[in-house]
This record gives sequence, C-alpha cells and structure tokens, in this order.
Amino acid sequence: MKWLLLFKVAWVALQVNLMRSILTMLGIIIGVAAVIIMLALGAGAQYEVDQQIKSLGGNVFIVFARGRATSGARGAAGSVQTLTEMDAEAIEQQIPQVTVAAPTMWANAQVIYGNLNWAPSIQGVDNRIFSAQNWQLNQGREFSAAELSSSGRVAIIGATVQRELFGASDPIGQSIRVDRVPVTVIGVLDAKGQNTQGNDQDDLIFMPLDTVRKRISGRTLASPRAVRSIIVQVADERDMALVEQELESLLRQRLRTTGSDDPFRIRNLSEMVETRARTMQIFNGLLAAVASVSLLVGGIGIMNIMLVSVTERTREIGLRMAVGAEPGDIMKQFLIEAMLMCSLGGFLGLSIALLVTKGLEKFAGFTAIIQPEVVLLSIGFSALIGIFFGYYPARKASRLQPIDALRHE
Amino acid sequence: MIQAVIESIAITKSYQMGSQQVQALAGVDVHIQAGEFIAVMGPSGSGKSTFMNMLGCLDSPSSGEIRIQGENVTHLSAAQLARIRNRYIGFVFQQFNLLPRTSALDNVMLPLLYRPDHSDAESFAIECLKRVGLAERMDHHPSQLSGGQQQRVAIARALVNQPAVLLADEPTGALDTETGLEIMQLFQQLHSEGKTIVLVTHEPEIAAFASRQLIFRDGRLQSDKRVQPASATEHLQRYRQQKSQEGLA
Ligand SMILES: Nc1ncnc2c1ncn2[C@@H]1O[C@H](COP(=O)(O)OP(=O)(O)OP(=O)(O)O)[C@@H](O)[C@H]1O
Ligand SMILES: [Mg+2]
Repeated sequence: MKWLLLFKVAWVALQVNLMRSILTMLGIIIGVAAVIIMLALGAGAQYEVDQQIKSLGGNVFIVFARGRATSGARGAAGSVQTLTEMDAEAIEQQIPQVTVAAPTMWANAQVIYGNLNWAPSIQGVDNRIFSAQNWQLNQGREFSAAELSSSGRVAIIGATVQRELFGASDPIGQSIRVDRVPVTVIGVLDAKGQNTQGNDQDDLIFMPLDTVRKRISGRTLASPRAVRSIIVQVADERDMALVEQELESLLRQRLRTTGSDDPFRIRNLSEMVETRARTMQIFNGLLAAVASVSLLVGGIGIMNIMLVSVTERTREIGLRMAVGAEPGDIMKQFLIEAMLMCSLGGFLGLSIALLVTKGLEKFAGFTAIIQPEVVLLSIGFSALIGIFFGYYPARKASRLQPIDALRHE
Repeated sequence: MIQAVIESIAITKSYQMGSQQVQALAGVDVHIQAGEFIAVMGPSGSGKSTFMNMLGCLDSPSSGEIRIQGENVTHLSAAQLARIRNRYIGFVFQQFNLLPRTSALDNVMLPLLYRPDHSDAESFAIECLKRVGLAERMDHHPSQLSGGQQQRVAIARALVNQPAVLLADEPTGALDTETGLEIMQLFQQLHSEGKTIVLVTHEPEIAAFASRQLIFRDGRLQSDKRVQPASATEHLQRYRQQKSQEGLA
C-alpha cells in the first residue's frame, strides 16, 4: 500500500476521534513544548553570555574599593588605604599580561537638558575606559588631555541618555546640567543594549575622573586621586588566574594590608555572567525533567489509545485482511497512525513553545533562540516516540487472525 | 477433467470448547469449476460458514487441503494467504462490512490498495460501481445508502480485483425480500457473464437461482446436485406485480 494513502487513512482515523486524539497528544504536546522552550532559553542564555563576555571582555577584572574611598575610614597605621589612579598605573606597568587598567569613579546625579531630566549613572573615567570595556564612539570624540587634567566640564553620553534627552536632535556641543554643573556633550557612545541582568548598559554618562571627583560626587575623598574601581583588561584569557594572583599581591603590597581584610575586592566579569548562566541551567534541568516525564507519559498514552483503537477497529482490520492486507500492511497502518498523532502533537507543542518563548522575551526579558534543527529534531523525535509506543499495538493488530477479527463484536 | 477453481479435499475443522470438542466440518470434498453458481444450504450450525471461510482462506482447516487453481494453500504464511485472497477471492458478507466514513468509491477500491500496482484502480473501481448500478452514488458514505445499495457496493468491492471466485455468505440475509431478489438478479447476471459464485443461504427460493446446490448437515456434505436455475428477473417481476396487486386490493 502506498505511503501517501496510508497517511490519508491515518489522517481520517485521527479526525474521527479528534478530541480523543488531541487529549492523547497532550503529553507529547507538553513534552515537546518544554523541550523546545528549554533549548530556546538555553541557547538564548548562552548567546547572551557570549555577547556580554564579548562586550565586557571575558578577560576583564574589576577591582572595587571596599567603601574606604571616603575620609573617616579607619587609619590604624596612620595611613589611608584606598585605591587610587596610581594603583591603576602600577597595575598596567608592573603586570605584563595586563593591557589596560582603567580607573573609574561613579556617582548618581540628575541630568537636565532644557525641560527634560534623566538620572543615568555618572562615571568618571579617562580614555582607557574605551579599550578596557570595548566602547565605541558613535559620534564626537574622546576626552582631550587638557579636559582630563583640568576637570573639564565635558561629557560623553550613552545611547539611552541621548535618546531620552535629545531624541532625534544632535547632542554634540549641547550643554546639559549634571547635578547643576553645566557640561558640554562631546561624544555619543555606540549602544550595547541590556546585559544578562536586564540592566540597560547604555544609560550612562562618561566624564573625566577629576570632574566627577571634584564637581559631582559631593563627597570628601580620602585621597585626591582616589578611585572607586579599576577595570583591568588581560591580553590573553588564559592568564586570568595568574593575573588575579598578581593583582592581589601587588595591591596588598601597595595598600600595605595584612591579614584577610583587604580594602579591595577583585571580581571577574565572566564569572558574574556565568553565575547567571548557571541559574539558567538549573531552570533548564527542571524543564528537562518535566519534558522527559511528559514525553514518557505521552508515549504511554499513545500506546493506550492505540490499543483501544485496535480493539475498536478489529472488524475493520478483519475486513482489510479479508480483501488482501498482509500483516505488514496492517502494522504499517497503525504505526503511521501513532507516528502521525505524535508528530502532530510535536507540531502543536512547537507552536505552543513559540508562543511561550515570544511571551517570555516580551514580558520577562529572556532571550530565546529557537534553532531550526531543534524544530526538525523535536518533530522527528515525537514521530520516533510514536513508532516506539505504537509498535506494540500495531503488532497486536497485525497478528489478528482474519476470521476472528471479522467476527469481532 | 478441467482444472477446478477451488477444491476442498477432506477438510475438517474442530473447535475445542472447554472439555467439549465441536466438529464444525467433518471431511468435506467439493470441487468447484469455473463458471459455476453454487448455493450452499443446510440447517443452522451445519458448517456452511466454516466451509466458506476455508474456501476463502480466511481460516485454515484442522486437516485436509484447500487447493486454489490446483495449488495447495493450506500451509502458506499469513502474508501469502493475504495475497491469495487479494488475487483470487471476492467476499460478500451478510453485514456488508463497508468502512464507515469512507466513500463508496474508496470502499470499492480497498482491495486494489493492497496491490503493488494500482495505478488505474480508480477507473476500474468506477467501472465496478457502474456494473452494480451505483455509479452516481460513488461519493456517498455507507450511512447515506440503503441496505441494498450497501450490498451492491460490497459486491462491487468483491468484483474489483477480478477474483477467480465470489464467495457470499448469506448476502440477502439482512435485506427485505424485494431487495434480496434484486441482489440475486445481480448475481445471476454476473454468473451469466462467466463469474464463479458460491453463495450460502437458508432460503430455498434463493438457492433456486443457483445451478448447483450443496446441502450440509452436521459438518458433512449431505447432497450435491445440479439443478435447473430459476430466473431471478422473472421472480422479481412476479413479486412486484403481486405486491402492486395487493396494494390495489
Ligand atoms: N470460533 C468458533 N469457536 C467454536 N465453535 C465454533 C466457532 N465457529 C463455529 N463454531 C461452531 O461450528 C459449527 C458450525 O458453525 P457455522 O458458523 O459454520 O454454521 P453455519 O452453518 O454457518 O450456521 P448459520 O446458518 O447459523 O450461519 C457450529 O456448531 C458452531 O457453533
Ligand atoms: Mg453461517
């Protein structure tokens, strides 16, 4: 019997009991949907991690000052322990594997342009920040040496700040007020988008370190060159462990600390990103469990309904045998029916997965990527489940004796 | 002697029912020649259906042989028997046994689907529906057809594979007298066209249309005789006249 005809026969059989078929498919539907959602979120998370490691650099450390950048911190040894610009320079010069060490300050301040206001994160930097964090300028220029050395009132703004304050108009040369200080916009950064935590990375303003230190932060600093963090970029990712050790000993020596209570903390950005990815994996593991149980239950459901179907249609089987169907033909017919039911379930599961992932992307900020091979694989796999669980009922049907089947009530 | 289409040679069939053994057939020899129209008669439980199922290779005898065109088929596999049925046998059942929710045409085509080559299946199936006078009903489902029409579809299905023999087990059993006579008229026409037909019936009036009568009793062939067949067409005419007269009276 031709395959096309077998599919037609199977399709008619499914339609006859449409509701029952759909209910039977439910396990497969849920299973396949869970598998696809799981893979889509997994691929999405991986993509984000990759993107972020690319944008932040998997080869980057951030050295944070631990809350001692302000005066009044204890000065037990008569000296103030804090990170300074000089530490950044020392890191860059004394650790050969380090390409850049960019000192940064930060503050939060209200930014006003005309009658619009906005509250981005204000970062005090020098031009090393561009290479340390892979920032590109979209328009304008970097800071000049004069602006950096004399706390110039200039700013380079992130894409979000540009959008919120300037819209379509050209921000270069415009004056904005940062914490009531008038500042001229000299550049706009290329957009980086959200990071894995869903934070907008473009909602920031760069200003010279000194400008933030003296004019914005409003805090009295322990040292005139104090910074709140240093972004350290390593040439080769394979040297990360080594550089971390060297950073630690260099800074300890420079800040004259003993014991375990370091006044700084070294964080690896890709580690932070990967923590997030691990959370994702746990979630994925859960989905995988749901998926496999659901596929198993779905498969058993298919087997059950196929057994019912074989019993219900015993006379039909008898008739087909009487007019010349060989056991193999009957077997094929029921296998194809089970397979069709499962792949249909797989298809419905796929549709649901598409809806759910779209929803998660839209309302929960997930990134989900459904790869084409996953689609083919899931439908193929459900068809296989159909064959696996349909085999026993199909074989049972094919082994009926024609005369017994025809006489069946 | 000419080669018989189907022969049963000393076939027996017994069923074990608990401790009791039922002897449904107890040694039956029948040789059926091409072009014969045979009526199988006998009381209920005498083994008529059992015998037909053996002839049609739906069931296998406990002992003895079934030969189809001289070939012993008794020990063939299930698949081989299916091929034999597909090629040589056309069944007509008392309960029609059409597939529900399937058009008359698709029902008729069913046997051809199990052939390796069925490229002109549809045109031939339409041909067969025409032969039984139902060409204009080919898209109807069984539930949209009368009992007589359903039996005609079933006969078309039995004809579609151009079988060596048509086997009909009480084909008029579920029909009223007039429709039954119409079906018998059709069988007689098919016989006059050269078809070989074996038909089981309880009713002597129906058996009278055949040219040879086998009578079973207790699983044995009690008698086997050739007769002059009555004409179903004439019977039908007489029956209709009578009915219309009764209607007038
Ligand atoms: N599957 C079976 N199991 C047990 N006994 C059976 C089976 N099939 C038939 N028999 C017995 O075999 C005998 C012959 O049955 P068969 O159906 O051939 O009779 P029949 O002549 O066709 O009767 P009827 O005119 O009522 O159809 C009966 O006694 C019946 O009970
Ligand atoms: Mg019977």
